[in-house]
Amino acid sequence: MHHRSRSGSFLDPRTFLLLLLIANVITFSQISLWIEMGWIVFVDSMILLSGKYKMAVKWILLFCILLLLQYIVLPASPEIIATIFVILVNYSIRMFPCLLIGSFMMREISLRQFVLAMRKLHFSEKLIISLSVTIRYFPAIKEEIYHTKDAMSLRKIKSSKKLEAMLVPLMMSAAATAEELSAAAVTRGIENPIKKTSLLTLKLNFNDYACCVIGCLFLVGTFILK
Amino acid sequence: MVSIQGVSYGYESRKKILKDINLEIKQGECILLCGESGCGKTTMTKLVNGLIPHFCEQCELEGTVRIQDMEVASTKLYKIAESVGSVFQNPKSQFFQLDTDSEIAFGMENQGKSKEEMQSRLQNTVHNLHLEKLLGRNIFELSGGEKQLLAFASVYAMNPSVYVLDEPTANLDFSAIQSIKQLLRILKQNGHTIIIAEHRLSFLYDLLDRAVYLKNGILIKVYSKEEFLALSEQDRKRMGLRCLKEEEGELPKAHGAGKDIGLSIEALTVGYKKKCVLFNNISFSAIQGEILAITGYNGIGKTTLIRCVCGLMKQMGGQILLDGKIMPEKVRRQQCILVMQDVNHQLFAESVWEECKISGDGLEDSVIKSELKQMGLLSYADRHPMALSGGQKQRLAIVTAILSCKKILIFDEPTSGLDYATMIMVSTRLKKLAKSGRIVIVVTHDKEFMLSACDRVLKI
Repeated sequence: MHHRSRSGSFLDPRTFLLLLLIANVITFSQISLWIEMGWIVFVDSMILLSGKYKMAVKWILLFCILLLLQYIVLPASPEIIATIFVILVNYSIRMFPCLLIGSFMMREISLRQFVLAMRKLHFSEKLIISLSVTIRYFPAIKEEIYHTKDAMSLRKIKSSKKLEAMLVPLMMSAAATAEELSAAAVTRGIENPIKKTSLLTLKLNFNDYACCVIGCLFLVGTFILK
Repeated sequence: MVSIQGVSYGYESRKKILKDINLEIKQGECILLCGESGCGKTTMTKLVNGLIPHFCEQCELEGTVRIQDMEVASTKLYKIAESVGSVFQNPKSQFFQLDTDSEIAFGMENQGKSKEEMQSRLQNTVHNLHLEKLLGRNIFELSGGEKQLLAFASVYAMNPSVYVLDEPTANLDFSAIQSIKQLLRILKQNGHTIIIAEHRLSFLYDLLDRAVYLKNGILIKVYSKEEFLALSEQDRKRMGLRCLKEEEGELPKAHGAGKDIGLSIEALTVGYKKKCVLFNNISFSAIQGEILAITGYNGIGKTTLIRCVCGLMKQMGGQILLDGKIMPEKVRRQQCILVMQDVNHQLFAESVWEECKISGDGLEDSVIKSELKQMGLLSYADRHPMALSGGQKQRLAIVTAILSCKKILIFDEPTSGLDYATMIMVSTRLKKLAKSGRIVIVVTHDKEFMLSACDRVLKI
């Protein structure tokens, strides 16, 4: 497939950012369910086109279930249950356009592509560095938690001490990691003011233009209906 | 190439870490910094890569450090980074990307190199260091040793003229150390200057040109290669140094499974999913009175195996028996204690003493005191565990494991980064422990330690 030739992703990170922005506008202007549904069909077909069939089916099913709950199950169910779930379901539906494009983006875009896109869009270097280190740190936290849990389950620790036994090592190692990480970063010239380059190339292609045009049509639709 | 003149360094009022150091390093030399833990060798490396004074606040630096014509104290760190590359001890905290390719390119991207140049340097790096198998991987899936090789690759790709290495092999297995040795040899042949602080000396003996021996922050002597290699066994031990040549010798093989006494692992299959089986049908046993070493390549899954033995994960097949009785995971968790490779995960109390009290619940104070004393930690009883040095933390974790009074003690790399004296301290204590009827298993790459402490070995 033609889109596979380019560093593996279906759409450019910048296109994703634009689509995310549009999804936010759609979500928070709350014009009509039809626009929202149209958006979801559009994004979901993009997911299908990119070959992630499982993901596409999962999300569309989830959306159908939410619609079913909202319009058929909840109106028919006892008032107590309805009041408990109505907010949850309603908000889930409202947030769905953002969730969908967001998770598509997470699946498609690697951190380095994202960083490169931010550089191309002239985000400040400070923001880029702190953002990329933060993202880099999430899997590390996961690892830390996993090890700390291991250590805890082998020691006899009173339940009153459990939280402490979890948090103290986590915070201590976070502090140590932060220090070591920045030492390694500065010795590899991260502070260099020169314009940074990248091994990757980002290029907009047909998919990106098509998606941008369709996205903008949604935007226009939102404003016309307003 | 590198010139250190009259350098003293310390934190405000506290004791000086380095005192009046003078050292001239010529281009293309390989300099070993050695000495006991805490002698100041890591601090020496920081003088050269500029972390001192640029990265350490509230420090007092006297004297000057120059790299060619560049004075370190007045040059920006990124400028220094162009001629000095650093590899540190902890493989976990040296990378910034999530995948290996971009990690190797990271330094070059910071320098604004053109894409073509990056591509070709990336290819060169991977080719010269024989790291083809590292390409295109998720970094979080790499083993500690692989991460360290990746850190080397990333620095190598920047092509600095001076390499500053701070205990780069602390976590590596024999074959990974060999590949690093190979790589250091290539660097040396290409005329790079190498400054390396290390405990493990055996892989360096034919690479080094001079050895700098430090003690308590004072440069005691600079040995020529010939002088250094001619050190008598006695002198070497007195100086607190690990062995200079790879120790010769083999341990007898681990007992087969099926023992009625001790821990018996029978036809164990370990893995995460059906697709990812790390060990198929592995059998061995460990008996009281003996220490069993488990050794094998980085990334082969030793840590996963011991997690399974400890009951932290379920086996996919086979069983684990203690004195002839099958132990399900829960029983294993009650019977086993594990000292992890990174002991930071298991220390959480406010003081060393408190940490021991939690582990040795109900034990007499005198017992705890004697344990701390045997590991040389008694004078630190009031300190916060995190204020200890790496080696001290490691020993504290060993003390807490012993105090837990569990039957099976498993140590994952207990000697990474220990000098000779502490290594002997740990090995003596573990031997006594085994003699007292506990089952001791040690996962290690450290051959010197293995030969001095262990009775049998399981190679996987």
